[in-house]
Amino acid sequence: MSGLALRTVRAVWVPVVLIGALLLAAALVSANGDLVIERTATLLAINLVIAVAFHVFSGNSGVLSFGHLAFVALGAYVCALLTIPANLKASLFPDMPSFLVWILDVEMGLLPAALLAGACAALLALVVAPTLMRLSGLPAGISTLALLVIVYTVLLHWEEVTRGSSTMIGVPPDVKLGGATAVACAAIAIAWAYQRSRAGLRLRASREDEVAAAALGVRVAADRTRAWVLSAFLAGVGGAFYAHFITTFTPSEFYLEATFMIIAMIVVGGLGSLTGTVLGVVLITVLDDVLGRMQDGGLLGLSLPAGSAALGVAIVLLAMLVKRPDGLTGGRELPLPPPWRPATPAGTGHADAGGSGDLESAPSISSAR
Amino acid sequence: MLQDIVNIVSGGSLYCLITLGLALLVGLMRLMNFAYGELIMVGGFAMYLLRDEPFVVFVGGTVVAVVVVSLLTERIAFRPLRGASPVTLLVASLAVSIMLQNGARMTVGPESRGVPPSDWLQQGVAIGGAQVPRLDLVTIALAAATLAGLTLLMRRTELGIQLRAAAEDFEMAGLLGVRANAVIASAFAITGVLAALVTLILIEDQGAVTATVGTGPVLIAFVGVVLGGMRSLVGATLGGFLLGAATTALDVMLPNELSPFRDAFVFAAVIAVLAFRPEGLVPGRAERLA
Repeated sequence: MSGLALRTVRAVWVPVVLIGALLLAAALVSANGDLVIERTATLLAINLVIAVAFHVFSGNSGVLSFGHLAFVALGAYVCALLTIPANLKASLFPDMPSFLVWILDVEMGLLPAALLAGACAALLALVVAPTLMRLSGLPAGISTLALLVIVYTVLLHWEEVTRGSSTMIGVPPDVKLGGATAVACAAIAIAWAYQRSRAGLRLRASREDEVAAAALGVRVAADRTRAWVLSAFLAGVGGAFYAHFITTFTPSEFYLEATFMIIAMIVVGGLGSLTGTVLGVVLITVLDDVLGRMQDGGLLGLSLPAGSAALGVAIVLLAMLVKRPDGLTGGRELPLPPPWRPATPAGTGHADAGGSGDLESAPSISSAR
Repeated sequence: MLQDIVNIVSGGSLYCLITLGLALLVGLMRLMNFAYGELIMVGGFAMYLLRDEPFVVFVGGTVVAVVVVSLLTERIAFRPLRGASPVTLLVASLAVSIMLQNGARMTVGPESRGVPPSDWLQQGVAIGGAQVPRLDLVTIALAAATLAGLTLLMRRTELGIQLRAAAEDFEMAGLLGVRANAVIASAFAITGVLAALVTLILIEDQGAVTATVGTGPVLIAFVGVVLGGMRSLVGATLGGFLLGAATTALDVMLPNELSPFRDAFVFAAVIAVLAFRPEGLVPGRAERLA
């Protein structure tokens, strides 16, 4: 096998398979024509964007963030403010503060608004990075949670701009399966490109051993900041698309329960693996959707009490933490297809910080060349 | 003025109790327990179910219910995870919290349930010309009694010595004959008692209970523990008290248009403390929490 072919396959195998599977599934769903299933699939694609954003930071750095829903919320609100039709906006926000009054006349399309929303989230991430990125482990978890509480409090009480606890309405319902799938594919490609880049590899090295990586010259805080800002951008875009998908929402949509759902997806799939992230999103979204519909009596004629869906997801997450703390994938990526798989299988797994073909140990790959 | 001071001290006392319950488990097994809030929720629903019973049954039943649920979470969720990283424990406790919340939603119902406040507690008492709600005074007295009781327990009893030894060095304590299961279970039981006391004051004050009633208190407790330093109970006591006093004082002092944003200021302070003094205001003897 030529070295070039092997390198190419290694470089693109995982995203090609993931994106291919996603496109195939989307095509099947839209050919099937069932509107309920199509809606679930659209939600799944948006969840993918948010979970992949989460993976870019937490998966690569090993620092679990409880604050990403802050970026999702910011993205949703910024995008809503930019895209709600101008004539409606004037009546929805009669008390808009004078320094923001110009926003009432803005009426943007979804894509530019979503990119701006992502940029706002990235800016917030950049502002808090100098304090947050110094921390690891539990203090990092608590301070990212603090960020979420701060953003939630501001969204809930800055009524002139966010409508507070009253529902945000008037967002155009223009996210369909096609658009959501396209964004999910882009997010997967960006996340993969980042985790294979030099910066991504440095960050993954610091995840395995922070002290050793620092000793080798990795500036952990700087590399974490890069991932954090990129991740916030993706989360903001995800939030913007989510806003245009559900069209009506309040700040509590983006608080602890949503945080729990995203963390459940990542942990069930396997923290650190892009393949695992996608797998976790699919599993948890489907589980949540099926239980949710049984809850409303829409499936099998069952009517489970309200709360069953979240309860089911919580049980799955807890069982996973006890039985398979590394998730379904064990933090590894999709193995390479057989022709490129080296003859002697698997070393210890986690050694390959690149994240591709983690099932093969590094020495056997070089001998295959 | 006097009224403000009593208000601030009683706010501090309540937050101090809230923080202590969480701090015990953080010190012992580095468990930042999201489900602590749901213990308060369970207590609230117990109060709702027992609202017409005589006082002793009302209080006793609430305490027993919370302690039982606390022990159950330990047995079912946290014992299999013993030795896992603090972050894994945090995620697991979030799962337990969501389970309990939705369990309550499925059984007792999604709506808020009223618990009629007692007239006696709501009445004001005249002290030096100021009217002070009796509930504030009871809160302060209860917190003082609890602190005294907990200090005696930790300093003077066999269990307290074992708890402190296990918090200092779990493995070494085990080698010296401290039974891990028993010690951790008793810590969860004590946490349950503290959560029940918090519930009694909190629900008496709010007059109603919902499935998400624990979210506010648990965030307060997180902050109090972080402020105080995650290794010591003295720190948690102090952190909780300062936080409660500061929050109540902010309520009085913040201009009207900013007071809804109080929590944002409080949590910004948390980030600042974590970034510049990760060991909190009262660092413990042991190494910094990684």
